[in-house]
Amino acid sequence: MQFSNARPHFRLEFRLIRCSQKEMAEKGGKGFSLPKGSLKGKDDNSAKSKQGRKVQIDFEDVSDPLEPNSPKTNGKVNTPISKGDSGKGGKASKAASGGKNSVTKAPSPEFKIEEELPKNVKCLMDCEAAEILQGIQDRMVVISADPSIKIPISFDSGLTYAKRGGTFSNPQSVRKILEPLIKYGVSEGEMCMVANLKVESDDEVFALVPSLKSEEGKLRDPLKTALNELAKIQSSV
Amino acid sequence: MFLQSQLSWNVIIPPESLDSNGLALQKAIIIRLMDDFAAKKATKDLGYFLAVTTLDKIGEGKIRERTGDVLFPVEFSCITFKIFKGEVLEGVVHKILKHGVFLRCGPMDKIYLSHQKMPDYRYVPGENPIFISETSKIEKDVTVRFMVIGEQYVEAEADFRAVVGLNGDFLGPV
Repeated sequence: MQFSNARPHFRLEFRLIRCSQKEMAEKGGKGFSLPKGSLKGKDDNSAKSKQGRKVQIDFEDVSDPLEPNSPKTNGKVNTPISKGDSGKGGKASKAASGGKNSVTKAPSPEFKIEEELPKNVKCLMDCEAAEILQGIQDRMVVISADPSIKIPISFDSGLTYAKRGGTFSNPQSVRKILEPLIKYGVSEGEMCMVANLKVESDDEVFALVPSLKSEEGKLRDPLKTALNELAKIQSSV
Repeated sequence: MFLQSQLSWNVIIPPESLDSNGLALQKAIIIRLMDDFAAKKATKDLGYFLAVTTLDKIGEGKIRERTGDVLFPVEFSCITFKIFKGEVLEGVVHKILKHGVFLRCGPMDKIYLSHQKMPDYRYVPGENPIFISETSKIEKDVTVRFMVIGEQYVEAEADFRAVVGLNGDFLGPV
């Protein structure tokens, strides 16, 4: 009997709760939950709801059925932000700072080639690779005369890339100029990258190779000297 | 980045290529090695295989009992090309879509630069779509300097894919 009397109150209570869920969704609230007994229509809640239209809702810990809702509410809030950025970095960091989830600017990916390379593998500068591949290209007439000899499919595109924009005519000199930087903490991979990009200033090097910033103090002067030497070699080509 | 590697492979020579003349045998080994090298195309660790540079050592041959083939362990040096996360490279635009562009860099042509990673650039549709900013534009055949955000090796295709960005100073059209 009590249960049947309680029925209308149960329904009223349910609607009110749903409204308040909407409100909470708009506000992006966290930790909102129904009292555990409310949907089951327990006597306690029905007794409370008998007193006019006032419904007491306890803000307890997030209950399991509602947990899926909370990410949804958060998702709704963040949707306009997330559209602008798929990750954490760049412009979205400024937009997201106004929202509840603070997104920090992602650091540039670190260039740690030495950790990834297997042993017996050495980095080559583009000019060194160009010299070796061009030597093979020059003998291609002889090589291709024998139809049984096959050339890898990536050879031509690799050679074109190595020679792009002109290269240093003497790769040994380039390596001699840049090798002293190794004692200041520059790795071989980073050294090759500096040579490949034909950088013009030390600021450019620190911007493109952020991992060198930690050694900026002691590296700046020797780097400037090396870049000046490289510029001389390049201009004499 | 270009890599120079020292590798050790087993080269299998059929019995008909075995000759008392050692030079013919050496030629057969080199040809077979280059054949295997060209067929490989790429590996996850070393990237795209470009060329065999030197033949360092040919070990003792071992006869395979059932077939009569001879297996020679061969040490050689080669050049490969691989891109790494965090590396700064230059690529040429070969395809422009609404949400980004595809670049070619050496043997790699599946390098994706999303518009979300092109700060200050907006898409301009048309017969020849471009991405334009206040100071420069990115269109087909333009060389762009980018930083590699991530790369992936697809074993089934023996091919690499990469996602790159222009977030940083001195990056963008060259």
